[in-house]
Amino acid sequence: MKDIKLNVNGKDYTLNVDENIKLLGLLRDELGLTGAKEGCGEGECGACTVIMDGETVNSCLVMAFQADGSNILTIEGLEQNGELHPIQQAFIDVGAVQCGYCTPGMIMSVKALLDKNTNPTREEIREGISGNLCRCTGYNKIVDAAELSIKYLEEGRR
Amino acid sequence: MRLDVVGKNLIRVDAYSKVTGKALYPQDIYIDGMAYGKTLRSEKPHAYIKVDTREAEKLEGIIKIFTYKDVPKNSHGVVFKDHEVFCEKKVRRIGDPIAFVVGESERVCELALKKIVVHYDELEGVFDPLLAMDENSPKVHESGNIMYHYKIRKGNIKEGFKNSHAIVENTYKTHMVDHAFLQPEAGVSFIDDKGRITIMVATQYPHYDREEVAANLNLPQDQIRIINTNVGGAFGGREDISLQTHLALAVYTLKIPVKVIYSREESFIAHSKRHSMIMKCKTGADKDGKLLAMKAVIIGDTGAYASWGTNVLRKAGVHITGPYYIPNVVVDSYAVYTNNPFAGAMRGFGVTQVPIAHEQQMDILAEELGMDPVSIRMINMFGKGSVTATGQVLTESVPLEECLEKVVEGMDFYHREEEAK
Repeated sequence: MKDIKLNVNGKDYTLNVDENIKLLGLLRDELGLTGAKEGCGEGECGACTVIMDGETVNSCLVMAFQADGSNILTIEGLEQNGELHPIQQAFIDVGAVQCGYCTPGMIMSVKALLDKNTNPTREEIREGISGNLCRCTGYNKIVDAAELSIKYLEEGRR
Repeated sequence: MRLDVVGKNLIRVDAYSKVTGKALYPQDIYIDGMAYGKTLRSEKPHAYIKVDTREAEKLEGIIKIFTYKDVPKNSHGVVFKDHEVFCEKKVRRIGDPIAFVVGESERVCELALKKIVVHYDELEGVFDPLLAMDENSPKVHESGNIMYHYKIRKGNIKEGFKNSHAIVENTYKTHMVDHAFLQPEAGVSFIDDKGRITIMVATQYPHYDREEVAANLNLPQDQIRIINTNVGGAFGGREDISLQTHLALAVYTLKIPVKVIYSREESFIAHSKRHSMIMKCKTGADKDGKLLAMKAVIIGDTGAYASWGTNVLRKAGVHITGPYYIPNVVVDSYAVYTNNPFAGAMRGFGVTQVPIAHEQQMDILAEELGMDPVSIRMINMFGKGSVTATGQVLTESVPLEECLEKVVEGMDFYHREEEAK
């Protein structure tokens, strides 16, 4: 067992974790944050994507103890005071959600992209979500949602 | 007529829960004091088995190991009851369930799986559906390997080919496909406040699941509840039962909540596939490209179990003529057992495979006749009032011609053809 400290969605935690536990397991089983999903357990599908110190990670490939001292943002941390994040709203408005299992990871990847590049091209959006598999939509609606997010975020800034 | 929904952009009822991560899939359900379950699956495609669970049962944290002996009625299946909940004497594919371990943690269940001894007395297997149709091939089930044969006989096939100016004959093959839905199978079972066996699972058929679980446990249906959670994709792959009966059996016997989550690897091994098909087609047309005859033989590999093989091969047979009027037709389609993964429903139910054959036949016929691929389709395609090979009269809208015209225009088809020359 190992003692770690981390911040998840703005909240500080001091935890004693099993060395075998992955960050995904820590979030889901210990902290009850089940928005990040396990689709493959080996970093292929991106359903477990969270943002760790500003970068997207497959939380199934990060050991819990490796998150010691880090800042983690999960899908549960996007909605603020009952108000959806513009990316979440765009996914709803465009109809980019079908079965929903890839959606939290997909939204986190779009968030990480737009945090760094406020006006990406369609190609750059595709590149930004290339680590996230979706089996339902064929991706076009997801790229549309990312484009609409850019607009919503701009409107919010004005 | 006023339409409230058609043509309007509506927000999905579940969109909010899905973009916030609040939507619950079975993986996301945690119940205090729950145990975990893991399935032991066959590593051989065709073998008699003997199972010894004694060593595994001694592990600390193991609550019970279920085998065929614990199942009141051991057979299930969506059309034919040819699956066993747990194999008793014989396994017919890699991945057949043999035992279900229930323990205090996933880790102890995994250890127990390794301690169960399965003695395999291997049998010769059959993996090619053409070979499987041979009388002398190993039999997957007692009843023989040809599980289903569907026939269409229309008009006079001999006359049709005799009058044909061009005849093309080819064999087409499609491969097995996995649905690869993003959420691997998972479920939770518990006894509800009215004492009923309750299974929370992502399924395409809660009503079928209830029927099958009740039959396997030999209980009335009103003692079983199936609660459908959010479903993380299915595409036909959640039509057959997977872990529902295992979970029901465990909670019925042990009276404690039980949770199961399949890994991606187990998900691939456990559920059905799209049928691979071999399609032999002979198509004849007159000088002007008018279709006169088609003879088709379709062989679908349904693997170790029937699942929806009957329905899939029937639909493949019905649709092998394509959306074209053909006066003389002979179709024979077969679903054949092999020791491959079992095949069932997947996106299109057999209708997805056959265009590979009938559309290439049209292109090749057009080439033989010196016609362009659009014209040969235009003069043969169904319209309102057409009669299909099965005798169905198409009385409603059949806007195929309009569709093809738009495609030709949208692709700038003739211009492209010119440029390609």
